[in-house]
Amino acid sequence: MEPILKTENLWKIYRSSQVEVSALQGVNFEVYPGEFVAVMGPSGCGKSTLLYVIGGLTQPTRGRVLVDGNDLAALSDAERTRLRRHKIGFVFQRFNLLPTLTARGNIAIAQHIHGNGFDPHRFAVITRMLGLTERLQHRPAELSGGEQQRVALARAVIHEPKLLLADEPTGNLDTRNSEIVLGMLRQLNRELGQTIVMITHNPEAAAYASRVVHMRDGVIVDGIPAD
Amino acid sequence: MIAQMIVRNLFHRKLRTLISVLAVGVEVALVVVMVGLTTGMLQETAKRIEGIGADIMLQPPSSSIFLAFSSAPMSIRIRDRLKTIEGVRAVAPVLLQSSTSGGLDVVYGIEPESFRAVSGGFVFHEGRELREGYEVLVDDWYAAARRLRVGDTLQLFGHDFKVVGVVEHGKGARLFVPIRTLQQLFGAVDKASLFFIKCVRAGQTPHVMGELRALFPRYEIRPLKDLLSMMTPSSLPGLEAFHRSMIALAVVIGFLVILLSMYTTTLERTREIGVLKALGASKAYIARIFLVESALLCAAGILAGVGLSYLAKGVLTSIFPTLSVQITSVWLLRAAAIALGAGLAGAAYPAWLASRRDPIQALAYE
Ligand SMILES: Nc1ncnc2c1ncn2[C@@H]1O[C@H](COP(=O)(O)OP(=O)(O)OP(=O)(O)O)[C@@H](O)[C@H]1O
Ligand SMILES: [Mg+2]
Repeated sequence: MEPILKTENLWKIYRSSQVEVSALQGVNFEVYPGEFVAVMGPSGCGKSTLLYVIGGLTQPTRGRVLVDGNDLAALSDAERTRLRRHKIGFVFQRFNLLPTLTARGNIAIAQHIHGNGFDPHRFAVITRMLGLTERLQHRPAELSGGEQQRVALARAVIHEPKLLLADEPTGNLDTRNSEIVLGMLRQLNRELGQTIVMITHNPEAAAYASRVVHMRDGVIVDGIPAD
Repeated sequence: MIAQMIVRNLFHRKLRTLISVLAVGVEVALVVVMVGLTTGMLQETAKRIEGIGADIMLQPPSSSIFLAFSSAPMSIRIRDRLKTIEGVRAVAPVLLQSSTSGGLDVVYGIEPESFRAVSGGFVFHEGRELREGYEVLVDDWYAAARRLRVGDTLQLFGHDFKVVGVVEHGKGARLFVPIRTLQQLFGAVDKASLFFIKCVRAGQTPHVMGELRALFPRYEIRPLKDLLSMMTPSSLPGLEAFHRSMIALAVVIGFLVILLSMYTTTLERTREIGVLKALGASKAYIARIFLVESALLCAAGILAGVGLSYLAKGVLTSIFPTLSVQITSVWLLRAAAIALGAGLAGAAYPAWLASRRDPIQALAYE
């Protein structure tokens, strides 16, 4: 089987005025369709950077990123945007909902950006699975953290992305809400076959994944597929 | 959906939205009222001159009908030459002066007899004709605005003038004094700023004008019949420059207000821009959000501006009843286009900045 995501000797060097920070120092990493991979590692080791590069939010300094067969490093900014729009879904530690829109509006705007119009069937399946049916008319400020993250999750998968990228999705949640959100990630993975890469600090969260890889100082230090 | 978000964002920062809308409104009203005021005055003046009933107006070289400031006046003796032209029935010399006592008023210094011969005479609401000395005729509008009656005193050029008559409006000016009084006051003995000429038959006007042009080649010779239709701002070069500077001022206001408002908005919404980009929004999509938002601000401002214009007109004409403010749909549309254009130009830079913002900078600091 072809990997849905493959990085080859991936480097990312942040250059600000004087200092250079090598956030990624040759990452080799593969994710296969249907996997739920947790990435763990100490703070500052480059986990978020890896996710941004994979998701096409920034360009790698060196190396290749293949998402569904497309080399991101070879794409223009506009092409990367298009690829992200169709194949990637993001979830962040801070839920990052648009504050002026309702839950429904936040999910719908993702569909609008995606450009395929409103798909009521998909919308119903996702909102039901994430337990949001009753909360759709509420603004983010009126929702609990767990609910907000579930809306963010719905927004990220509404357009059936090949790859869901989650950066510490439970980092701002209490244990109970963390378990709910992680359970839903696992459900998305098992029932809809959603491929997920999730960053986490928390071993309990990582336990929901089908595979765990560890990062240190900008490289993956293990990560042999579990099966 | 995007429309909903934009509208919600505008309501989200109520004060800033309100201020921007008001500023655009002021911008629109500025153009509409200033242009309305000047063209109103222009039309008014033209209508009044037309209402005199003369056929031709003769003025010294390069003088304007509207500005009484000018005038290196002509000798009044020119009249004798004018009278010899075939087809001329009557000639009335007028000396113009502006009075600035409480607004800008043009005062006509006239000879009652010749002015009557050219114009057919005043219609008196009360009082009598001018004789001489410090006497003044006022028209009914002026009398109403200043609550003047026959026998009252009116200060003009630092002198007390006695109101001897109130006449129907529409005969050139609102104030008339004996020409000799005005000549003495301004050291312009035997001078006139212009001559109104009445032909024996109206049909002779072109012929008389031809004769006049031959006799006074560099003088301004205007037929009065179509004066009103000829009155456009371009017939008065200073006025067009004035309009242009008003428009320039309006453009600058609109541009800066929207620029500032949108710039702060994009700064506040850095994270939101990052999120939209993470969702796959293109640069054009991001830019469009801010441009549409500005366009909505402008649209609301234009509506406010229309309201403000009529409000300003109401206030102005209640304070200065003799003032005429002409609000035309053409200028309302122009002002709207100016406001929209300036607003979008002002929004362009913030929108461009927003569209280029690095999404990971926007999202990085979790
Ligand atoms: N925009 C940036 N400019 C410069 N340096 C950056 C930038 N973003 C991250 N870095 C640096 O790159 C390194 C990796 O950062 P990154 O955010 O990827 O780490 P992380 O593993 O996600 O850490 P954490 O667990 O704290 O979120 C850090 O040393 C960080 O300071
Ligand atoms: Mg991080």
